[in-house]
Amino acid sequence: MNHEIQDGIRIRARELLSLGEVGCVIGHERGPRGRVRPVFVHDAGDAGRLVWDQTCHHNLVVYLRDRAAPSRRGDAPLRAGIVARPCDVRALNVLIHEGQVARDQVFVIGVACPGMLAEEAEGAGGSLAEHCRRCKERVPLFYDALVGEPPPVDAVVDAWEDLAELEGSTPGERLAFWIREFDRCIRCYACRQACPGCYCFECLAEQVDPQWVSIAHRVPQKAFFHVMRAYHLAGRCAECHACDLACPMHIPLSLLNRKIAKEVKALFGYTAGADPTIPPPLATFRKDEELPL
Amino acid sequence: MPDSFEPKIVGFLCNWCSYAGADMTGTSRIPYPSNIRIVRVPCSGRVDPLYVLKAFQEGADGVLVAGCHPGDCHYGDGNLYARRRYALMRSFLDFVGIDAGRLRVEWVSASEGNRFAQVVAELTEQVRQLGPWAGLREGQQEAA
Amino acid sequence: MKVATRDALARWLDSVMVQRSVIAPRRVEGELLYRPVRSSDDIVFDFERTALSPKTYLLPDTQVVLEVEKRDRAVTLIEPELGREQVIFGIRPCDARALRVLDALLLGRTPADAYYAERREATTLVGLACPQLWDDCFCSSLGSGPDDGSAVDLMICEAESGYLLSANTEKGKVLLEQLEAEETEQACPASETAGARVAVRPPEEWRAVFDDGYWLRLAERCLSCHACTYVCPTCRCFDVRDDTIASGPGLARFRRLRAWDSCMAPAYRRIAGGHNPRPDKAQRLRNRYYCKFCYSPLDFDVVACVGCGRCIAACPVGIDITEMLGEVAALAEERS
Repeated sequence: MNHEIQDGIRIRARELLSLGEVGCVIGHERGPRGRVRPVFVHDAGDAGRLVWDQTCHHNLVVYLRDRAAPSRRGDAPLRAGIVARPCDVRALNVLIHEGQVARDQVFVIGVACPGMLAEEAEGAGGSLAEHCRRCKERVPLFYDALVGEPPPVDAVVDAWEDLAELEGSTPGERLAFWIREFDRCIRCYACRQACPGCYCFECLAEQVDPQWVSIAHRVPQKAFFHVMRAYHLAGRCAECHACDLACPMHIPLSLLNRKIAKEVKALFGYTAGADPTIPPPLATFRKDEELPL
Repeated sequence: MPDSFEPKIVGFLCNWCSYAGADMTGTSRIPYPSNIRIVRVPCSGRVDPLYVLKAFQEGADGVLVAGCHPGDCHYGDGNLYARRRYALMRSFLDFVGIDAGRLRVEWVSASEGNRFAQVVAELTEQVRQLGPWAGLREGQQEAA
Repeated sequence: MKVATRDALARWLDSVMVQRSVIAPRRVEGELLYRPVRSSDDIVFDFERTALSPKTYLLPDTQVVLEVEKRDRAVTLIEPELGREQVIFGIRPCDARALRVLDALLLGRTPADAYYAERREATTLVGLACPQLWDDCFCSSLGSGPDDGSAVDLMICEAESGYLLSANTEKGKVLLEQLEAEETEQACPASETAGARVAVRPPEEWRAVFDDGYWLRLAERCLSCHACTYVCPTCRCFDVRDDTIASGPGLARFRRLRAWDSCMAPAYRRIAGGHNPRPDKAQRLRNRYYCKFCYSPLDFDVVACVGCGRCIAACPVGIDITEMLGEVAALAEERS
């Protein structure tokens, strides 16, 4: 199945590049130590570098902001091909909705995704990553070409089970948990840089004037960054888990985003990236709504 | 906890309704706890959730965000955005460990002097019961 | 050379902890980090490589360099308190060599970095040899090796008979005297250094390939996060910002913080007026490698990389410094 997806990607990439339909294809390659990593293929002859397997966890949509932005200086941006799973396409949809990427500047090579392997399971032919076990989307919401056969959706797993333990704790226990987690954060911003939804020219955490938060690498400052970043992704986070996967200290940051996503779903019936015709929940209101305050 | 704990409450009050309401409380000589420190903003829609988090980090034990009643916003719809923002922020801060009881969002009109006093008294008492907030601040115990 | 069991080492360290801070490898929620320990029970003795180097104990990620209080017209400057004497136990040869690199970069010019100098003086390094090169490691390509004890005060290696300890400096000797253990004539077993060697070319050759298109291609996948610079034991750039801690009528207190910064950040080199000489991530990534392999050798006589391999493990998108070095070597070959 993985081989089929990989072949499909290579064929499509070769075609797009040789016909000049895209300036590059963003996909994965195998690095010198055997691990997969993002790659930008510019020539049809290099299409063989593209690989695909269940360790290709990077959300490549993050690179589209540079590649496929609507023109600002009158230069036509290069059209890019991109390998995208259902979660990646949700993120892309958010960017299109927010005017960061133009739909016609991207050729989406959609992947019918069987899920990513859990990090520990890599090489052991083992189980899926927790967030992939929960996922019910097999085929991206939209695509220009689809590779792979949609695998069956497994029996429903509780959609929010990752939050259950924390939700069942007291606020004091939750505070202790987050202090422990933020303690080893090194404020490297890998989470933010890997996130397709974080594209502020200057992040609040680094702003000098006003300085919202000091430059200290201490729990209060790190907590401030993570809480505000998650809040700024309210109704925008596509739950792709790029943040978790980028974090060098393996902090389960997606718990923050997912808590907000759960509330957004419950209160507003909204899922980020699902339907671009629905106004984003925090950019609108209903006059007579009753909300828990 | 010590009986003498006096919570520090920070209140973000919109100029047109809730701040005027608080003024009304004062001019009517209705007593209300002096635990609250009021910050006047043009509209509850101006209250960035970032300010609420910062307030907790800089010494507040409780925070009040008050605006006009929905439908009466001086700017039309500012408080309607605020309503959505705070519905999310309140449960999110609770998830991070800041008890939802510490953050209160209220709609107080310019004529509700009595009500403002009542809201502040209730919040002060509630936060007194919850105890001082010291999390996510300078000087708190770092993880071992 | 002394020989000691792990228990003896543990007891020794517990006694050292009474007088000084002991920083050692410890599990922190699943990550292995150098942290202060209160008991030898917390120390992990069997490990490959920690996620971060112990750099922060000499070049802190956050440091108050000054506090200022203004009461009406009266200004008081409050210098930070000096820290305790500290022992870094279990430092690897690469991380210890990195401190020699930092010495050259931070103490080699006038004015020297006084804060770093103070911490350096207050620190005793107890090294622990690696029996082999771990995944991603390449210290042996940079003039060192997994059993290189030259940069520590007291070196430990593991042998069949137990831990073998030898002091290299006066500081190390003083510390070793506190360990009750037998003398031995044994020598440390040589570590395994099998593994591909990485070619590190001299600065002139780097100059020649500065404009090559390779740098653009390499950086395409870069996210411009700070991971590589923060896990790196030789990266030392920092930012200084003032932070208000109290203010009121007639009173202002603020402190001047120094904290790690990263040349990978887009705004790192942006100056007043808005000009930024390195707005593109390709320029910044290239600059980082040039700083390590071209500018530092030219300006400070050291290669600012010790081959610890942490940047390879930490990079979320698989940028590999050894791959880059190989490419530069190949490009330099082509041009020669």
